[in-house]
Amino acid sequence: MTLLIAIFYYMAAASIASALLAVTRRNPVHSMLWVLALFLHVAGIFLLLNAEFLAVVQVIVYAGAILIFYLFVVMLLDLPDEAARPRFGKHWPLAAAVGLAFAALAWPARFGAGLAPASTRVAAEGPRQGNLSEVGTALFGPFTLPFEMASLVLLAAIVGAVVLARRRAAGS
Amino acid sequence: MIVPVGAVLGLSAVLFGIGVFGFPARRNIILMLISIEVMLNAVNLSLAGFSRYLEDLRGQVLALFVIAVAAAEVGVGLGLVIALNRNKPGAAVADLNKLKW
Repeated sequence: MTLLIAIFYYMAAASIASALLAVTRRNPVHSMLWVLALFLHVAGIFLLLNAEFLAVVQVIVYAGAILIFYLFVVMLLDLPDEAARPRFGKHWPLAAAVGLAFAALAWPARFGAGLAPASTRVAAEGPRQGNLSEVGTALFGPFTLPFEMASLVLLAAIVGAVVLARRRAAGS
Repeated sequence: MIVPVGAVLGLSAVLFGIGVFGFPARRNIILMLISIEVMLNAVNLSLAGFSRYLEDLRGQVLALFVIAVAAAEVGVGLGLVIALNRNKPGAAVADLNKLKW
């Protein structure tokens, strides 16, 4: 029990550190690798939260597909003078202030204050959640329409990406 | 409940704040998109935490939809980056001032 909590706090500290490094590194490829570390640690936290399917999807889709896509684009673009430019825009202190304001929400959230069944379910280990069959039953039962809408969104995104990135033919 | 839900929500808030800082502060379009990914991950984390705390599977299903929308966003966003890069090499947003007056 305490070992798992220690693992959780390690994952939390490591994900905060890798997120900070990801948004501040100068080299975009280094940023990508820190984001990869962030995604893997978040997947570990999903495992601790009994969301196994979410952890697997996080590793496969985020770390496997999305991040590789980013890396491909970074290598395709061959960002020439990235190291010579300043990393942040002129207004970065304002951005830092807004980010700190959001991060300060962690203070009221630290005890989970205001959540509905605060102390009733702490001791009882609930029914096992997050396994594949339960998520699948929920996806294809009450969430069938949103699931199909998600496929439609993905189809629209595929078509949009092809149209955007296509080289125009010489005559048109 | 092994992991305290307040810690999960606090971690989610801190990660979201990092993403909120990164999006306007960076000058590279790809790193701005990466900041959006950090924010989406923070939201997924809080959804999973609520799902565990309330013992309700809907949070995880919603997180799956967030992941699907993130994949769509990455496809369109990087398509835009490639199209922009074809017109004007380099991915710094400061150079993109054609629509400004």
